[in-house]
Amino acid sequence: MTTKELDGPGLWTTSVGSFPKPDYIKKARSQFARKEISREDLLDLERRATREWIEFQTSIDTDLVVDGEMYRGDMVAFFAEELPGLEIGGLVRSYGNRYYRKPIATGPVGRDHAVTVDWWRYAQSLTERPVKGMLTGPYTICDWSFNEHYATRRDLVLDLAKVIRDEALDLERAGAKFIQIDEPAASTRMDELDLVIESMAIVTEPLSAHTITHICYGDFHNAYPKMLDIPVDQIDLEFANSDYSLLEEFSDDPFTKYIGFGVVDVHTHDQESVEAIAEGIRRGLKHIPANRMFVDPDCGLKTRTVEEAKTKLTNIKKAVDVVRAEL
Amino acid sequence: MTITTTVIGSYPKPPDEGQPFVVRKTLHGLERKEKTEQDLARAQDELVRTIIGEQEAAGIGIVTDGHGRWDDILTPFAKHITGFEIGGLLRWFDNNVYYRRPVCVGSLEWGGPSSVDAFLFAQTVASRPVKTVLPGPVTFARLSVDEHYGTHEEFVLAIARVLAQEAFELEAAGARYLQIDEPALLDAPEDLSLAKKALELITDELNSEETEVTLATYFGDAKRLGADIYDLPAEVFGFDLVSGPENRAIIDSLPDGKKVQVGLVDARNTKLEDLGELAHDIGSLAETFGADRVRVAPSSGLEFLPREKARAKLARLAQAAQRAETNGR
Repeated sequence: MTTKELDGPGLWTTSVGSFPKPDYIKKARSQFARKEISREDLLDLERRATREWIEFQTSIDTDLVVDGEMYRGDMVAFFAEELPGLEIGGLVRSYGNRYYRKPIATGPVGRDHAVTVDWWRYAQSLTERPVKGMLTGPYTICDWSFNEHYATRRDLVLDLAKVIRDEALDLERAGAKFIQIDEPAASTRMDELDLVIESMAIVTEPLSAHTITHICYGDFHNAYPKMLDIPVDQIDLEFANSDYSLLEEFSDDPFTKYIGFGVVDVHTHDQESVEAIAEGIRRGLKHIPANRMFVDPDCGLKTRTVEEAKTKLTNIKKAVDVVRAEL
Repeated sequence: MTITTTVIGSYPKPPDEGQPFVVRKTLHGLERKEKTEQDLARAQDELVRTIIGEQEAAGIGIVTDGHGRWDDILTPFAKHITGFEIGGLLRWFDNNVYYRRPVCVGSLEWGGPSSVDAFLFAQTVASRPVKTVLPGPVTFARLSVDEHYGTHEEFVLAIARVLAQEAFELEAAGARYLQIDEPALLDAPEDLSLAKKALELITDELNSEETEVTLATYFGDAKRLGADIYDLPAEVFGFDLVSGPENRAIIDSLPDGKKVQVGLVDARNTKLEDLGELAHDIGSLAETFGADRVRVAPSSGLEFLPREKARAKLARLAQAAQRAETNGR
């Protein structure tokens, strides 16, 4: 594919996707689960939280905004709830004391309505800055679900790819200029990286938006540089939580796409200093030019507190300003 | 003939739908300082009691404590070993499950038992034998970071020396079924002779003739190790036939005098196995090797499944073993 080039100085600030939910959303979600409040009540609060996050991002002058996913439980279950053929299953552990409801593919997967477009429209109505369309990739939905219907994983992934492509097309029609198709599971199994590439091609082939994928916590050493064959304009990666060791891979095989450059660890209460982040960006700039670099946290910030997340985002913005001044 | 059923180790912590998830709430409370370490220990005791009860009710012959107190098989040991710090999150093999990577920053020294109290508690509440699980030294080293030893061999052997003390204490506490997990060895055939040396450091510390060591692998096949895996010092060799169908050929070359622990039920997918096919599979293993040399199990730890599904899988496994026994008479 040909990369869609962007104008501007680069070092654009953005976020990977999720933000922490304020306490009133957590409370409302459990009240809704207990049928104590209506869906409309919950929606009102989710809209309010989305607005607050957009206002915050605007206040720190974020270049590429996300809606923060106030209305999503998790990135796979959210789609599983809306797509025919997928059901929400029981609780399984992800790490530590964190659990999620793992979906089950119980029949042919399809799509009978747009899942993310209304939220994207709402978020975009609140800001002049571009808002990312946020989708979960077909490979990750498959990998993070049980499969009781399809004979092979490939069959399930390819059906999901058509569903996500249709959703991406709807986002594009609504006006989204940046569409992120997350594939955190992409670097899990080297023997299935071809399937990641094949399914992503189905999703991105008809799109004219700038496409992004986020990949994390995998066997990066073995997935790189083949990962560059995933047909998207930008790959978003975590650097801070491995002290930027991923950059070593770029010495032998240059990174050829736009990069989403993760500069704060999302799984620690500790705050990286502005100078530490700035130094991380400088290290990145030895391998990737500024005008190909987006700067963001390592991953979604939803496991932090609201205050922790805001501090991390503010520090990123300050560090970017420091480094921009040096360019 | 009796075909022994067992589990690999972990078991789901969440309760059945609608039941209170006490351990999770207690951990949250502990973070907010509203609960104490004693509250947590009590909640974990209760969880382990339930986990063992469910395994026994399903008909499992050799049980584990379901790793009810652990997040993964490395951290609980790394925490008690001087020289290790606990690092960032990393994917647990090819699962959507993450562990904290131990980082070795100094000479490794045994800091006292990590798993003996848990074993003693489990054996008190169980009416069947309890198997205890240790991480294998090669797997431990490969999933950790070494900032101290400099060579992989020294690191592996240092870990093995510490684990040997743990194994000695476990045996002294009465543990007779000791499983050493080496899933990372499947992708590291170059470590086989090192693994032998390291595991011998552990088995040399064991004194009782009755203690039986299982070398467990899972999440893949052992074809890169081939029949050389049987050079490792163990009585029982564990293979995952779900993720590694090619393990069949390696099981076929099981040496005389050794036993095999075969993972037949998919511990990572909810779809329930067909009872007839499972019984047939178990029956032919028993026929080939003799029932007393075959243990049947899920393909790996069961924590990847919701509680109800894990229980259903175990019940299916036990039913199938029973049917195979009846058919074999």
